[in-house]
Amino acid sequence: MSLVLDHLVKRYGDVLAVDDVSLEIAHGEFFTLLGPSGCGKTSTLRLIAGFERLDGGAITLDGDDIARRPPHKRPVNTVFQSYALFPHMSVAENVAFGLKYKRVSKSEVARRVGEAMELVQLGHLAERRPGQLSGGQQQRVALARALVLEPPVLLLDEPLGALDARLRIDLQVELKRIQETLEITFVYVTHDQDEALTMSDRVAVMKGGKVEQCDEPRVLYEEPCTAFVANFLGSSNLIPATVSEGALRVGEFTLRADVDGRTGDALAMIRPERVRLEPHGTGGENRVPGMVEAVVYLGFHQDVRVRLASGALVRCDVPNDGEAVEHSSGDPVCVHLPANCLRVLEP
Amino acid sequence: MRRAWAILAVPGMAWLAAFFLVAFYAVVAVGLGNITDVYDPVPHWNPLDWNIGYLLQALEDVLPGGRTWPVFVRTLAYVVVAVVLSLAIGYPVAYYVSRYATGRSKAALLILLVAPFWISYLMRMFAWTNLLAEGGYAADVLNTLSLDSLFSAVGLLDGEDWLGGQHIAVIMGLVYGYVPYLILPLYASLDRIDQRLIEAARDLGASSAGAFRRVVLPLSRAGTLGGIVLIALPMFGDYYTPDLMSGSPRTAMLGNTINNYVQGGPDKALGAAMTLLLSAFLLVFMLYYLRELRRESAA
Amino acid sequence: MSRPRWLPVITWVYVAWSLLPVLIAIRFAFNDGRSRTSGQGFSLRWFWTDPTLSVRNDPTLAAALEHSLVLAGLAMLLAVPLGTALAIGLQRWRGRGSGVSNVLMLLPLVTPELVFAVGLFLLFTSAFGFIGLGTTAQVIGHVTFSISWVVLIVRGRLVMIGNDVEEAAADLGAPPWQVLKRVLLPLLGPAIAASLLTVFALSIDDFVVAQYMASGADTTTVPMRIYSSARAAPTPALNALATIMLVLSLAALALAWLVFRRRPESLSGLMR
Repeated sequence: MSLVLDHLVKRYGDVLAVDDVSLEIAHGEFFTLLGPSGCGKTSTLRLIAGFERLDGGAITLDGDDIARRPPHKRPVNTVFQSYALFPHMSVAENVAFGLKYKRVSKSEVARRVGEAMELVQLGHLAERRPGQLSGGQQQRVALARALVLEPPVLLLDEPLGALDARLRIDLQVELKRIQETLEITFVYVTHDQDEALTMSDRVAVMKGGKVEQCDEPRVLYEEPCTAFVANFLGSSNLIPATVSEGALRVGEFTLRADVDGRTGDALAMIRPERVRLEPHGTGGENRVPGMVEAVVYLGFHQDVRVRLASGALVRCDVPNDGEAVEHSSGDPVCVHLPANCLRVLEP
Repeated sequence: MRRAWAILAVPGMAWLAAFFLVAFYAVVAVGLGNITDVYDPVPHWNPLDWNIGYLLQALEDVLPGGRTWPVFVRTLAYVVVAVVLSLAIGYPVAYYVSRYATGRSKAALLILLVAPFWISYLMRMFAWTNLLAEGGYAADVLNTLSLDSLFSAVGLLDGEDWLGGQHIAVIMGLVYGYVPYLILPLYASLDRIDQRLIEAARDLGASSAGAFRRVVLPLSRAGTLGGIVLIALPMFGDYYTPDLMSGSPRTAMLGNTINNYVQGGPDKALGAAMTLLLSAFLLVFMLYYLRELRRESAA
Repeated sequence: MSRPRWLPVITWVYVAWSLLPVLIAIRFAFNDGRSRTSGQGFSLRWFWTDPTLSVRNDPTLAAALEHSLVLAGLAMLLAVPLGTALAIGLQRWRGRGSGVSNVLMLLPLVTPELVFAVGLFLLFTSAFGFIGLGTTAQVIGHVTFSISWVVLIVRGRLVMIGNDVEEAAADLGAPPWQVLKRVLLPLLGPAIAASLLTVFALSIDDFVVAQYMASGADTTTVPMRIYSSARAAPTPALNALATIMLVLSLAALALAWLVFRRRPESLSGLMR
């Protein structure tokens, strides 16, 4: 069972919303489309659901081409960001809505609705109207309404976007539990990197209608291929540099790094928590002197900003171990950029 | 799927095309057509056959020196005065209800402001014929207050009969008839203005009047213009208000002229030509109103 | 902020001025005597008991009342389905011709009634002579200028409903006509009720189109009757007729309010 997106293209007037997207999503995978608003992630999802007409490419589910079918004839189901519950029907009627088109007996309908409601822990609210539920409860109804049809693929369009932070974390755990219990494929759209990292088996980071990089969360974080991915997932230092004769140069300093065969202008990427702050004048490879520009207290860690001689700013996370950082702005320091943490990216 | 749903628009569109567009084209065809020996209009549907004789005559009539020119000037004066008076009444009312009225009194006022919509226009005019007739309450009050001599002195009342061809009665009728239609859009646009904007203006040093002039007035401009157009358009086509409030040729408006040509006499072609001229004259207002409606219904 | 004293005064004086004349006219409907300019006792003479001149016993008055209601009923029956379908269609029609259609839909709202009435009159006396003047022409006229209002009301509600619930229904397997039946029409209920009420009000209020489309005594409506007799008829029976009409439209309004008061969102539609 797998969902294959083959060179999808979607235009709105002159705008290419989805620009040649190809992905292969395995059965039972929790797959996330991540990106800023306007990156094409929701358009891609709507193409799979059938709400938008494909301008090019093919969508196959287990080898069946579903791209030409109208939405009501596609076996995929969607959970909407706005929940899109039917306000004139009770919760149970909402959940039973799609079963009417499935040719199941009345007793079967009752059984499956009950099961779906139990799965999302809403059994006691069956007779309520959606308007009488909280946001989190509405979200569960939307989920039950789609899951009751036992779709091989569930599409989720920023389902937690409208909820507050605490509830969001609870529901993240629950979504993951449901997905693992039912073993169905989730295609999840979000702009929230934490959501993407915590739940997904794989994440496709999108920008300008294209997939920038698609991989497991750990790989995306540790080995981003582009500056955009590095910046979008977590924070990162992107230091302008040049590569010549296999070595990385930042200003007048030469750093050891895996340059991956690159030459010319480049960006040296390193995560702030991998930068070591050392006293001025510390010797050794990959050490660059600079001047502390600001120290920002952030609670669980402190953010020390160091200006290098080349003009670049390097942020350095110092964990809060109970003692104040001994540096203050204006102090000369040395930053250590360990070679195994440096990545050389296209500028 | 979306395209299939568009089929639902077909019956309504066909209806409007047949009974609105073609109806308007009938005015063109008759106005640019001819008449038979027994004065029946002969519409010219084919633009190649158009005869501009009646249009030219209608134009000559409404231009200075023509026989309809005085009616045209009178109509313009009535509408302008009635619109100004309506604004003078309607703006303060809309302003008060949107800004200051609260709770139950606001709810009550809104219901009372909408109430005239549920009373037939003709009935509201008819009510005044009861009041202004000889011995009517309003006529008695006006006469007791000696307002009749005052109005006579400044030339607004001619003779004793309030319903016998008085400009002031017709204008009052127009204001009475149309001001509810002005107040609602005014209220809507004033109610949309965020109270905090006025507070910000006061905070930045504007006086109460200054805040009104520099914040409220500009922000309610679109609603005001919309309301003016909304009441001015039907006033230009009105013939029943002057008929009920006066009935005299001395107070006839353009609507009366067209009505007489089309429904009354043998000059249907001339009436159609006059209708075309009126439409052309009002085109700017109609286009403005159309633009506002489009903007609103698109939002 | 201080509130100017004269604003509430103007407002309440205006309200009194706008409604008192009508209330006085209603009062005269209950006159015992023949006067229409002063109160003379109380009776139902002009509604019911006068053997020849009351609304009940003067066939022309009763017929005008009946005809107004028949026209309003037919206009509702035709304009609301046509307008609702048009609103749904226009909402989805995004391709070529949709711009023109949107303008055509709004044109009846911005055209002075007299221009429209003259056009329809000339049309029914020439090219569409097979329809001719009379009740059919009156209904067509009322439907034509009502459709646009229905479209505006229904479309406002459609925008509020949004595309999501419809897409959700299709996503859950409902074919288009089922989406219409199970989701869209139930959700449009309040807008459809508001449309029915609006068309009713527009139709019974209309004078110009009804008069231009009329073909004789049996096509006289209440406003036409008021127009022709206001300055001539000597009895308060006309006041009684107008009063009955007013009570009927207020009753329609009250009925709608009773049916829909549990759903406050529908009231916004009625206030338009």
